[in-house]
Amino acid sequence: MKHDRLRFTLLVGALVIAQFTVRGRFAGERIAPDFLLLALQLYAIRVAPGAGAAAGFLLGLLRDALTPASFGAGALAHTLVGYLTGWGKAVFFVENVIANGAFFFAGTWLRNAVVALASGALRDDRVIHELLVTSPLQGLTTALVGVILLLAFRGWPAVRPRVL
Amino acid sequence: MALEADRYGSRADTLLFLACVSLSLVAMALPPAWRDPLAGLLRRSVLAPFLGLQEQSTQFQTSRARFVELERQRDSAALAATFLPALRAENERLRGLLGLGERLGGGYVPAEVLHQAEPTSPLMLVIRAGRRQGVRPLAPVVSPEGLLGTVNVVEGATSTVVTWAHPDFRASAMAADGSVYGIIASAGGTGPGGMWLLELRGVPYRESVAAGTVIVTAGLGGVIPRGIPIGVVTGTAAVERGWERSYLVRPLAQPAGVGHVIVLVVPPGADAGRGFAPRNPGP
Repeated sequence: MKHDRLRFTLLVGALVIAQFTVRGRFAGERIAPDFLLLALQLYAIRVAPGAGAAAGFLLGLLRDALTPASFGAGALAHTLVGYLTGWGKAVFFVENVIANGAFFFAGTWLRNAVVALASGALRDDRVIHELLVTSPLQGLTTALVGVILLLAFRGWPAVRPRVL
Repeated sequence: MALEADRYGSRADTLLFLACVSLSLVAMALPPAWRDPLAGLLRRSVLAPFLGLQEQSTQFQTSRARFVELERQRDSAALAATFLPALRAENERLRGLLGLGERLGGGYVPAEVLHQAEPTSPLMLVIRAGRRQGVRPLAPVVSPEGLLGTVNVVEGATSTVVTWAHPDFRASAMAADGSVYGIIASAGGTGPGGMWLLELRGVPYRESVAAGTVIVTAGLGGVIPRGIPIGVVTGTAAVERGWERSYLVRPLAQPAGVGHVIVLVVPPGADAGRGFAPRNPGP
C-alpha cells in the first residue's frame, strides 16, 4: 500500500510539473489539456467524495490566485468536480478506460462551465462559445491525456484502493 | 488491487463538501481589498516555485524559438533572390517585434506572461515582473501589436494585468488622425466565432467613423499615454442609444496569444505612438 501511495504521488507530481512546463507548448492555450484537473480527478477517484471536494477546493483556490478575474469561482468549480468525481465513481463503479475518459471530459467541461457562469465576468455570447466550443475541446484533450495515462499504467491510477 | 464500490459518501463527506462550497462562495464575495492581498500571498508563497518553473519553461521555449528563428533567417538569406518580397515582409515583422523596446527608448519593463487554463484567463494575466523591476499600478501593458491592458496589482516579482477583455476595462481612445474621441471598452465575444471585440463608445451621433479606421489611446485621464494602437473599427455596434454612436473595434493585440509583454513606465503624458510602427488597417 505504501508503494502504491508513493507511485501515485509521483504520478501527481509529474502531472503538476507538466502543467507548468509542457502545457505552454501546445498551440491552443485554451484547449490544451489541463493536467492539474486531471490530477485532481485521479485523486478524487481514489478517495472519499469529501476528501475529493477538499482537494478540489484547495486546488481551485490556488488557481484562483493565478486568475483573479474569477476569484472564488475556480474554488467552487474544482470543489464540485472533486466531489462529483468521487461520488460518481462510487455510484457508477466502472473500471472501463473509456468510461473514465468520459469522467475526465465531463469534469473539464463542468469546471469550465461553473467558472464561466459563476465568475460573471464573461458575456452571454462568450459563455455560449465557452460551453459549446472551447470547453468541449479542452475536455477532449484532457480526456485523451487521461486515457493515454490509464492505458500506459493499465488502468491502475483510476482504481480506488480499499485504504489509501 | 481490491475495489471499494460501496462508498457513496458519508455524512462527514457531505458536510465537508458543503463547507468547501460555502468557503468558495465567501471567496467569491470577497472585496478586492481583501481578495488581492490573499491572492498575492498565495502567489508569493505556495505558488512561487511553480511560477518560477513556468517562467523558466517559457524562457527555454523562447530561446529555442529564437534559435529556430535564426536558422530560418539564415535559410531565408540563402533563398533571398527567390523569395525577396516574403523575406522583406518577415524582416519587417521581426523588426517590429524586436524594435519596439528600442523605439520606446527607456521607460519600459519586459515580462513573460504566465498563462492559465481557466476560461477567464484572458481577462486578467499574471506577468513575471513586479515592483523590483519598476512596475507600477495602472502602468499600461503593450505587445508589439498594441495595447493589452493596465497593471492592476503589483507585487515583488509578479503583477496582475487587467486586459482590454475584462468587463471593467476602460480607456480614452481616438481615431489615429485625432478626428474622433470616445471611450474604449470590452464588447465581449461578439465577433465571428466568438472572437473578442472592443467597443468604442460615446462618439457624438453627428460624427461617423469609417470601417478600417485605426483607434489609438487618447492619453486623456493621465493614465495611459497617447498614441498606443488599440484596434481597427469593423462597423457600427448593434446598439445606438441617445445622441451617441458605438463602434465595434477589432483589437490588434490578443491576450490569449502573447507570450511576452512590455510594461510602459513612461510618464502618462508622454506620446507612446512613436514606439509602434505605422500599420495598415487591413480589411
